[in-house]
Amino acid sequence: MGKLTSPYRWGMVIDLDRCTGCGACVVACQAENNVALCDKQQIGEGRGMHWLRIERFWVGTYPDVRVRFLPVLCQHCHDAPCEPVCPVYASYHNPDGLNGQVYNRCVGTRYCGNNCPYAVRVFNFYQHEWPPPLADQLSPDITVRSRGVMEKCSFCIQRIRRAKEEATGEGRLVRDGEVQPACAQTCPAEALVFGNLADPHSRVARLARSPRRFQLLEQLGTHPSVYYLKGGGREHV
Amino acid sequence: MEVLGIFRDIATAGQGVEALVKAGFAEGQITSLTSVPYPDGVLVPGGRRSWWRWLTLAGGLVGAGAGFGLAAGTAWLYPVQTGDKPIIALYPTAIIVFEVALLCAIVGTVVGMFLEMRLPPRDKRLYDPAIAEGCIGISVTVHAGGEVVACGEAGEAGTCIGVVAALAAPEQREQAEEIMRQAGALRTRTE
Amino acid sequence: MSDIPVTAKSAGQLNGELLSSLRPPSRRWYLLVLLLGAVVAWGLFAFAWQLTHGMYVTGKNRPVMWGFYITGFVFWVGLSHSGTMVSAILRLSQANWRRPILRAAEAMTVFCIAVAGLFPLIHLGRNWTFFYMMPYPNQRGLWPNFRSPLLWDMTAITAYIIGSSLFLYLGLLPDLALARDRASGWRQRVYGVLAMGWRGSAHEWSVYRKASILMAALIIPVAISVHSIVAWDFAVTVVPGWHSTIFPPYFVIGAILSGVAAVITLMIVIRKAFQLEDYLTPLHFDNMGKLLLVISLLWTYAYFVEVQTTWYAHEPIEWEVFSFMAGTYTVPLLLMLIGNALLPIVTMCFQRLRRSIAVMLVVSLLVNVGMFIERFLIIVPSLAHKNMPFVWGSYAPSWVEISVNLAAVAGFTLLFTLFAKFFPIVAVTDVRELEVLQAEVPLGRAKLPAIVGEE
Repeated sequence: MGKLTSPYRWGMVIDLDRCTGCGACVVACQAENNVALCDKQQIGEGRGMHWLRIERFWVGTYPDVRVRFLPVLCQHCHDAPCEPVCPVYASYHNPDGLNGQVYNRCVGTRYCGNNCPYAVRVFNFYQHEWPPPLADQLSPDITVRSRGVMEKCSFCIQRIRRAKEEATGEGRLVRDGEVQPACAQTCPAEALVFGNLADPHSRVARLARSPRRFQLLEQLGTHPSVYYLKGGGREHV
Repeated sequence: MEVLGIFRDIATAGQGVEALVKAGFAEGQITSLTSVPYPDGVLVPGGRRSWWRWLTLAGGLVGAGAGFGLAAGTAWLYPVQTGDKPIIALYPTAIIVFEVALLCAIVGTVVGMFLEMRLPPRDKRLYDPAIAEGCIGISVTVHAGGEVVACGEAGEAGTCIGVVAALAAPEQREQAEEIMRQAGALRTRTE
Repeated sequence: MSDIPVTAKSAGQLNGELLSSLRPPSRRWYLLVLLLGAVVAWGLFAFAWQLTHGMYVTGKNRPVMWGFYITGFVFWVGLSHSGTMVSAILRLSQANWRRPILRAAEAMTVFCIAVAGLFPLIHLGRNWTFFYMMPYPNQRGLWPNFRSPLLWDMTAITAYIIGSSLFLYLGLLPDLALARDRASGWRQRVYGVLAMGWRGSAHEWSVYRKASILMAALIIPVAISVHSIVAWDFAVTVVPGWHSTIFPPYFVIGAILSGVAAVITLMIVIRKAFQLEDYLTPLHFDNMGKLLLVISLLWTYAYFVEVQTTWYAHEPIEWEVFSFMAGTYTVPLLLMLIGNALLPIVTMCFQRLRRSIAVMLVVSLLVNVGMFIERFLIIVPSLAHKNMPFVWGSYAPSWVEISVNLAAVAGFTLLFTLFAKFFPIVAVTDVRELEVLQAEVPLGRAKLPAIVGEE
């Protein structure tokens, strides 16, 4: 972490108390990132391609039952278990603290997928195709992945790149809120907040200091860039 | 020039060697050809010191260097950050160094062995397929002749009296053949 | 040494009997090769099917991204420990009963590791880009990542393939010369080239003996490191059930267990196929049985240690993996425990059973069935129930994976069958050397060994 010289350390805060489980983020992600469309059978086989999933848990016993939602995307760990196991550097750490994935390097050992404790890496088991009208909305900014490669959430790196280029052109840093990934942009409840954790005054950095914060599988020491907010003592409400 | 005598068994072959040495042939000139290893000294003295096993060590060192170059050097050539691990990581480097060092040590051993045996030979050497069937070959290397041969590496002082070496090569050959035939050689071959 | 019956046979007779496998093949041999070839062809077809369709033709999914291929990989790497175990370790410990079987075991090592090396390539999502993992200066400007255990694997397996091939070749050298002297035609030329002009001079033998010992000493650390590294593929991850410090020694013990069992199976097959009843006696099986007993006890101990620490700590996710394994794969689990622990430990305690060829065949085969299951149960349940319960899954192999694994068995057998036909499958020279060493000279009324003190 100390070696990163970039002024950015992109991160996200997900407020679970705000999340309604509507699934808008999932759809937005799918549309933005050329994520393949999978049919019932493929998803049933466990070969769905979601970069972002909403985990749903039932809490309590009938009749006092609550539903809890947990949006899980790549946590962009600073000590990412997926990165060092890749034999070809397809999974690597970029200077902004993002966990990058280079598709054309990937040979498909799927070792990273095994070693990801969050199981957010999806593998192209199929050669996916987009039926006619949908093919027209494929984003030109991103590769359409072929079968046999691993892919995962990139924090919409294409948007980050563009924002950084614009800011560099104007000789400044990217402003807080200037860039956000498709999921955060779409969230109607503003449960997902994206920004630069290296800037202590950014919204995401302030939220990440909330006493309600926790991280997924903190005990593994992966140091994720994604913080979750939950609770405030109202656990069973 | 080389004279090869084929003996039926180890006892007669031993007598042949004995007779050759008595007649003045140097121990260094005589060697046995067998299809099964006999301990040193049963037929001819062996076990002279040699350097070839240093090649194993050399191979190991070269391999360790190569392994270090592979693991640490390539990482340093194109540094890519992964999972907050150091670019030149000690533990993986040690593993690669170990593997490549052992691989090169093994290759070095085999190469050294062949070098020391001088195999494959440059020219055709005397041989008899009967050796494979359990016969013993006694091979005498005949010197160019006419001069006193200095005590060879394997011969002890006093054994290479030079009487034989002083003779002309064809005479030496005849003498060796004669001695071996008397000791019970099935046949002799010369080249 | 003394309990091996001294057969009074001439060198020529011995050569003839031990090199009988080199005689022109019979019709049954062709039939066998054809059958094995057909299975290999079927496996190639299955692989081509996967290559053209995609990884979905396997049973893999998220989260179980490794399955039968990696199971096969670990299994074959394990089997490859046979040669090193039997040949190198017994050579260094000067156990004479190794002699008739060492060639078969060394050849087995080479072919097993070659088969094992194919699995990681078969299992790639984009098999055609396998060369991305090789370290050579390339136009991509990128070297492979040596921090990845897969690269350690690749280095170790390369070292082991080359090392064990040289080890096999070294042992073959005098036998090749022998085969050269007895053969004619093209065979003589091939053996002649391979024998490198070996004459068996006193100097050659002296160097050769030193080289053999040195090679045996060098190949053992390679063998142990290879399987340790295979274990590290799992142990260095953060996957519950994989992340365990006992894995390297546990895997090495498992590898030796399957290797020893495989050598026993092979001994039985070779004995039958080449009529080597005089050379592979019940005594040899007795000794191998004792070895099997010891290794099986060690394996049981290692397995017990692994399970009991997890059980005692009862760390929720790790215990979940074990409960899932015991619940979903109960039958394989029991089969593994019977095949790897119960059966060998009980049967190998009795000399009569150790000396019974039929019992040895059954036990040795079941040990390897158990070892395959063991590898499977290490790999799959851990992946199926990783840290995030929402993406727990399950796995069953598809016809493609089963076909490729079967083809691996057939391919190994085919390679071995061909090798046995073209090269001396019994270490003739080593066996004959023993006859020489055991020769006795009369002294008064007693008979004393002619040669004392040598190996």
